[in-house]
Amino acid sequence: MKKTPERIEALAAEYVLGSLRGHARQRFERWMMESVRVRQEVWFWEEKLGHLGSRIEEEAPPASVWSGIEQRLWPQNRGAKPATAANDGAGRWLWPGWSLVATAATLVLAVVLLQQPAPRDDQRLSGAIVQAEMTDPLWLVSESARERQLKLRPVAATAAEQGKDYELWIVPENGQPVSLGVMPVGETYQVTLDDKTRALLSSSRTLAISLEPVGGSPTGAPTGPILHVARLYEL
Amino acid sequence: MVAMDVEQHELMGLLIAVAREDRAAFQRLYEKVSGRMFGLCLKLASQRDLAEEAVQDAFVQIWHNAGEYHNERGAPLSWMLTIARYRTLDLMRVRKAKQTSGDSHLEHMEDGREGPLDVSLRSAGAAELTGCLEELSEPQRDSILLSYYRGFSHDELSEALSSPVGTVKSWIRRGLMALKRCLER
Repeated sequence: MKKTPERIEALAAEYVLGSLRGHARQRFERWMMESVRVRQEVWFWEEKLGHLGSRIEEEAPPASVWSGIEQRLWPQNRGAKPATAANDGAGRWLWPGWSLVATAATLVLAVVLLQQPAPRDDQRLSGAIVQAEMTDPLWLVSESARERQLKLRPVAATAAEQGKDYELWIVPENGQPVSLGVMPVGETYQVTLDDKTRALLSSSRTLAISLEPVGGSPTGAPTGPILHVARLYEL
Repeated sequence: MVAMDVEQHELMGLLIAVAREDRAAFQRLYEKVSGRMFGLCLKLASQRDLAEEAVQDAFVQIWHNAGEYHNERGAPLSWMLTIARYRTLDLMRVRKAKQTSGDSHLEHMEDGREGPLDVSLRSAGAAELTGCLEELSEPQRDSILLSYYRGFSHDELSEALSSPVGTVKSWIRRGLMALKRCLER
């Protein structure tokens, strides 16, 4: 679907209102990542419709909400267990569920929306893999079209449990995830992307990390729990 | 509205401090905003536990993303309420997907206190959007406000307003565009 000004205008309004749902909503979110014009239109509506929210009757949330926030941001014992998710009894991945489960369980997306669109010949994607209970990101992710390199720099990531490895995946828009290899912890992990994998990442902008036996998944598809799912944003 | 500006100015200062990881400022921000945010989420979801979860998630996001706020994104308060609103809508969708087909969202919400859209909200909305909502037809306005405050899907609107889905969709679409033309004047 082409991004005509009329479509942008109509869809941005329905996006902010919340009546745009399902695939149409997801497609529009991709438009937002691709175009500053689309984001500005969204901001227009966020600002205007935001006024509606300021007139609602206040109600103090229970004290447990604040203590929950503190607990998530600054737990006393940091680096505690990673959440396990989305792994059914048969050890098979439940694809349709991954985003919801991962979001609910562990993930806060670091949204990096800059105001200037990048020139196409050096498109850069960026993001962070974060865990809700921790202040620092686990890994910082950057990708450059010119260098064809995807880099994950560990910040607060800790080694996988004994006998396990972290494996990195591109989650395509359709079909099975594509492995980008087993990631060592403690050093920056770099992968050179070929045209095909780069195209997949460029369109889905979604990475996942699963916990696998040492050396990586024996089947070529993820077998262990998905620890993290992160979306990348264009810089 | 001088009072409003002073408040937004203060919220902006707090957001800047939060971007520098100032925890005391974060707590102050929470104290100032959480009541309005919880009220909004509760209105939208009509479920206390969901609204509580949404406020919690929203503040965790605000902590991480305060540095990305900029003035094109609206006043600081609107920006924070928008984060909470999107989170509430997401959680509502997840729950609805899990609900059995017989469990109607409408039944759940209509608790006898008020109709789908109470009068106070209708008039508040009109005042905030500088009178532009009043220029819309009544069904256009109601379908927009029900989507905003109650998170109604097209199907739920169709049920609440006893009109076909196609009609409801066009009320929203035309209503929003008329609203924009008015707001831009």
